[in-house]
This record gives sequence, C-alpha cells and structure tokens, in this order.
Amino acid sequence: MAATVAPEAPVRTDSGSGSFVTIPPESRGGWGGSGDSLRDVQRYKLAVWVGMGAVVMFFAALTSAMVVRQGLSGDWQPFSLPVVLYASTAVLLASSFTIERARRSMVEGSTAGLRRWVNVSAALGLLFVAGQLLGWQALAGRGIYLASNPANSFYYLLTAGHGLHLVGGICALGYIWLRARSARPWPTREAAVEAAALYWHFMDVLWIYILGLLLFWR
Amino acid sequence: MTEVQVSPEVAEYTEVHRHPEPKSFISKWIFSIDHKVIGIQYILLALVAVFVGMALSLLVRLRLIMPDKPLPLLGDLFPVGAPDGVMTPEFYLAMLTMHGTIMVFMVLTTAPQGGFGNYFLPIQIGAADMAFPRLNMLSFWTTFVSFLLLLAAFFVEGGAPMSGWTGYPPLSAVPEATVQGIGQDLWIASIAVFCIASLLGALNFIVTTLDLRAKGLTMMRLPLTCWTWFVTAILGLLAFGVLLAAGVLLLLDRNVGTSFFVPAGLVVSDKVIDHSGGSPILWQHLFWFFGHPEVYIAILPGMGVTSHILATFARRTVFGYKAMVYAIAAIGLLGFVVWGHHMFVSGMSPYSAFVFSILTMCIGVPSAIKTFNWIGTMWGGRIRFTSPMLYSIGFVSLFVSGGLSGIFLGQPTIDLYFHDTYFVVAHFHLIMGVAAIFGMFSGLTFWFPKMFGRLMDERLSKIHFWITFVGVYAIFGPMHYLGMLPHPRRYAEITGVDYLTATSGAADLHMFITVAAILTVLAQFLFVYNFIRSLAKGRACSEENPWEATTLEWAIPTPPPHDNFAGKVPHVYRGAYDFSLKGAKRDFAMQCNDDKAVYGAEQAAGD
Repeated sequence: MAATVAPEAPVRTDSGSGSFVTIPPESRGGWGGSGDSLRDVQRYKLAVWVGMGAVVMFFAALTSAMVVRQGLSGDWQPFSLPVVLYASTAVLLASSFTIERARRSMVEGSTAGLRRWVNVSAALGLLFVAGQLLGWQALAGRGIYLASNPANSFYYLLTAGHGLHLVGGICALGYIWLRARSARPWPTREAAVEAAALYWHFMDVLWIYILGLLLFWR
Repeated sequence: MTEVQVSPEVAEYTEVHRHPEPKSFISKWIFSIDHKVIGIQYILLALVAVFVGMALSLLVRLRLIMPDKPLPLLGDLFPVGAPDGVMTPEFYLAMLTMHGTIMVFMVLTTAPQGGFGNYFLPIQIGAADMAFPRLNMLSFWTTFVSFLLLLAAFFVEGGAPMSGWTGYPPLSAVPEATVQGIGQDLWIASIAVFCIASLLGALNFIVTTLDLRAKGLTMMRLPLTCWTWFVTAILGLLAFGVLLAAGVLLLLDRNVGTSFFVPAGLVVSDKVIDHSGGSPILWQHLFWFFGHPEVYIAILPGMGVTSHILATFARRTVFGYKAMVYAIAAIGLLGFVVWGHHMFVSGMSPYSAFVFSILTMCIGVPSAIKTFNWIGTMWGGRIRFTSPMLYSIGFVSLFVSGGLSGIFLGQPTIDLYFHDTYFVVAHFHLIMGVAAIFGMFSGLTFWFPKMFGRLMDERLSKIHFWITFVGVYAIFGPMHYLGMLPHPRRYAEITGVDYLTATSGAADLHMFITVAAILTVLAQFLFVYNFIRSLAKGRACSEENPWEATTLEWAIPTPPPHDNFAGKVPHVYRGAYDFSLKGAKRDFAMQCNDDKAVYGAEQAAGD
C-alpha cells in the first residue's frame, strides 16, 4: 500500500521545537486505518494476541478455583460429560478449517469466497453453541444443575464462559459478512479478517483445553 | 533545511486513525473518540469520585470521634443508616466500604492511567490517537456505567454493602450476614463491569505503546511516564480477568446458591446457612492475586510522572534511566507473586508465608533503586521549585514513608500483630492512596498549560501543597501509633475496649486525626477552586514549551490540535531526558531535535 502514498514529496520543516515531516493530506490514512494494510493487520493481530492474555487469565482463575475447590471438601461429585459435547467439538474444529478457507479466499481476492466461508464458519459456531445448550439440557435432565454440586457449577461456568466468548467471535464474523456485502470501501478489511480468524482459532484451542480439563480433572 | 526524508519512511509511519474532527457537541465532548477528550472525561470522573470518597471518609472520621452525637442533615439523608443523625455501626461500615471501593477503583485506577495516560501516551510517542479510538471510548463509558452501578448501591433498600473494599465472603456472599438488599450485588456488578472496562483500556494501551511509536522512538528512549503506563496496562490486563472471574463466582454464591466461598455449616444469626464446602480463603487468593498488582496499577503512573517531573525541573537527565526501566518492570513482575502477604493471618502454612515474605522483601530492591535514582536525579541539579516539582518531591517523601512500614508488614511474625490494625491503614493510605494522589497533583499542574492553554495559579498550588503535605502526615502519621496499641481497624467505636480507653490516648489521637482530616479536605477545595479558576482566568500560556521540557507533547501547539501533530510525523532522535547538555544552544534537547538543531550545524558536522 506504500505505493498510494506521497504523490508529492513530503515537506520537512525545522522549527525551534523540532523536526517534522509533513504528510500531504491525500496520503493520510482513512477513517480507522493507517492507509497501510500491512500495518493494520499487524496492529489488529497484536490486539488479539494481547486480548488472549486477558482471556487466558480469566480461565486460569476459574481453573485454579476449580482445582482448589475440588480439594477443599468431600462434596465433589464427578459426572460423565454429555455425549453431544464430542459432536460439538468436531463442529468447532471444522470451523477452524472453514475460517482458514475464508482467510485464504480474501488473500486470493475472492470476496464471494470470503463471504461464503465466513458464513459457513459463523453457522458452525452457532451450531456449536446450540450443541452446548443441548449439553446443558441433557445434564439438567439428569438432575445436574448449576448449584447442586461444585463439579456442576464449574462445568456450567466454563462452558458458559467459553460460549460467551465464542458468541463474540460469531458477532465479529457477522460484521465481516455484512461489511463484505456492502460496496462501501473498507480499508481495514484484511486486518479485521485476519484478527477474527486468529481469535476464532484461539476459541478452538481454548475449548480443547476446557474439554480436557472437564474430562481429566474430575 | 533542504534535507528531505525519503518517502518510503514516511509511508511506513503515516499516522494511524485519522478520524475527522467532530463537529457536534455530542461527538466532540460526550461520545468522543479523541483520546484527549476521553482523558479529560476520565479525570472528571475521578474528580467527582474523589469528592464522594472524601465525604465518606469524613463521615467515618466523625463517627469515630463522636459515636453517639447526632449530625445535622444526616438523619434526613439516611433515615435508616443514621436515624436522627446518629450513624449506626452498620452505616459506618457501609461508608468505609464505599470509601475504599470508590477511591481504589474510581480514582486511583482511573485518573493516573485512563486520565493522564490517555491524554499523553499517544502524544508522547508521536501518535495521532490511541490504537483503537472507538474501543477507547467504550472503555470510558463502561467505566462510567460501573461508577453509576456503584453509586446506585447507596440508594437501594438495605443500603450500601459493608463487607469492605475487599468484599470478603461470607460477609459479601451471604445476604443474611450483612446487607439483605441488592446493595452488595450492585457492588459486585460494578466491579465486574469495571474489570471489563479496564481490560479493554489495558489492551489499547499495550497495542498503542508497542505499535504506534514514532520513528526513532525505541523502547529505551520512551519517557518514563510511557513506561509506567505500559507496565500498568500489562498488570491490568493480567489482573482484572482474575477479579472478574472471582466476581462472577461471588455473584453466583450470593444469588444462585453455589458454594465456592461459603463453607458448610455456617451459622448466621442462629440460622444454618444452606451452603456446602466452599472456602472464604479461595476468594482471598483470587482477590489478592488481583489486589496486589492493583496497588501497583495505582502507584506506577505516579512514579513515572515523578521521574519525568524531577528530571525536568532539576534540569538533569534521569539518573540511571535503564535501571529505572528495569525497576518498573521488576516491580510489575514481583507484584504478581506476593499476594499471599495480605493473607498471613488466614491460616496459611508458615512455609508459604516465608516464601511470600521473601518475595515481598525483594520488592524493596527495585523500590530502593527508584528512590535512590530520584534523589540522584535531583542531586546537584539546578532545581526549579515549581508546584509540579513540589508535588513530585512530596510523592517521593510519601513513597518512602509508606514503603518503610511495608517492610514491617511484610514479615509474617510482625504482621500477626499489626494485621487489621490502624498500622495497615496508615501504610496503604500513605503509599497507595496519598502518594498516588500527589502523582495526580503533579501531573495536573505540570500538564495543565498543555491541556488548557493556561497556567494554574502557582501561589494557590503551593499553599495547597503545603497544607495537604503536612495534613496527610498529620492524618496518617499518628495512625502508626494507634496500630501499635494495637487499635483494630474497621471498628465503628472503641468504647468498652479496656486498653484503648482514656490512658492510651487513642481518643485524643482520633480527635487530632479527624481535625487534620477536615482541614486537609478543606484544602482540596482550594485546589478545585484553583483548577476551575485557572481554566477560565488563569494566566494564558500559548507557548509550546513553558517548562522547557524535552518530550514530544511540548513540541506541539497549545492546546494540542485534534490529531496532535497537525498532519506531521515526528521523528525522534534522542532519549527523553537530555538536559544541561554541554555545548548545546539551549540547556536541553527535545526528543525531536537532531544534533544539528541542538548543537548548530558546524559542531554537528564536526562530530
């Protein structure tokens, strides 16, 4: 994108207070972007990486609370996970592949492909959330409620916490899908798609971790 | 003058987020995405909060000196909490809780970082705005909602929560134990919302610092203010998520009947509470894992601004700049592994306590480095005793005074005695409360001319400084002695406690402290008067660099244009504190001055 910059040479001015380079107005970035998509991608992805730190700490706190609470007293009653969880896990894993297809479509310049695969990914995400809700229903059918045992409490908390974060990701995909449809220029498109894909993969990894925790730390 | 930078570099460093200048009042001042306006919004929010918090502390002080005397108006305002104007012990605890919560979250966490950091971080690193301006706006308004939720707790049935700013269960988790109404729920909700706001803010600060620095501005050339905002943001990012998780658990315990923090067989008011197997200690671990970094979230920006201002007004470079940076990082890192020192009396294993104690002592090392370097910065300098300089020196004094008592409290054996006494109250108020507030005073008086194009009244500032400086020592100094008696904290009154009756002098000291507190609070109105009067009628200061400072905010017009650098891209050539340079045309060099500008063409060529 550097080619779009500086049709006329920037003017350097030296005043008493320092050296500046003046950028011609037409070279300045548009709303919300720097006019340099590579820099935007870098910045958006950095934000997602940093945000992951906060999410990881949130789930680390829940994990440590779970480990401690389990060892506290003899009231911990393990239960078998609802079977639907394995199906929804497969769905979420598949969505990581589709979001990758979406990203690649964008890189190859296919807006239709981008929209299609973002669509599929969001649908798989919704399917996963539906699976989680079915899981809750199955547990409730077995008399396993949020407050009836600490083991249940942590199951509901972890799945709900992950689910809410994933819904955030689905909203991001929905936004991309909408923006990709409209004719309005979207200078941060690449950055948004790259960041959303990165976040989506993170949701995937986070879920595998939670599933492992629920399976093996009973 | 004819030398022109090559354009690819310019392309690489074009400004980010050039959003159009807002036209309407709403988009300019209310839902603004301009980091400068958002910074001022944070500062105003903190200003309102600090006066609410101070009013509450006065009520607390008044209850302590006259437990059964009616106060005018109070009975009308709080018919339940203070029937006929006499505060009930429960009301005292509620005021205490709200004072702590408002001060820690809405003042100490917002103004230094969200306020000054928001306004000056982008400018000091040569950026046009934060990395994500709309996220920035969202952070502020989420914080605002959190503040409203907290204030709402005053006005609901059952009144404000009374489980302390630490919200210890079972007091906070079992409605029967303290507040029957939703006051405590509002408190938890407010904290949870505040966590989210702070996480969004922290994310923005980190990305901004890493990604938007001007060309030539390496990390080791950053002003120390930016370093502290950066490290504070990292602390917030890693700490607030934990508090958020803890808050969710607490809310569930309180409302849904889960048992994370409430033990089995708990009896409250002769009634067995229907919970099983949780532990209040679990909350303490989660809370203090956040709580200790929170202390540094409050104080680090004050350290940054102090370093910055000491160098500027001593006309000396910061002594040991690199050591300062490493000390900031070390304090941040160690802040995450010392939370146990808040829990020495929780029944913790002595071995754990020993480890936490050793790690706590380790914090003394970077803290001492910082203090040593502050003194080293001033040593032999040609000090200009302006009001920001006075406040900064005051900060160093308070930091040392408050820090020394921390060494006592960090030892488990001594802490067993001092825990929950006024000694602790004295310690954390000096180091976390007042020192951080002095950082804000120095920041505000220092940057006021850049923000508003006028100077604050020096004489009023200096009067305010001396009254406040002496006042806070008069308030918190005697509390060390009270703590040694040992006078327990959180007690609404001390009547009936044998060793605290007349001969101990505790009552007289309380009277002295309360009078000092009233005078100190009155002096704060002087500061606000000065602030508002200077906004309207202060001496105009249109020059760019009235303090002859070196960092980028002093290289742009006053007040700053909408995009900070008016369509220009600054280039940084040197570190942040080049003062008293030999052979230079002026006694300082700004970060955006190259050698030619500093030494003149011939000399620079000679090099």
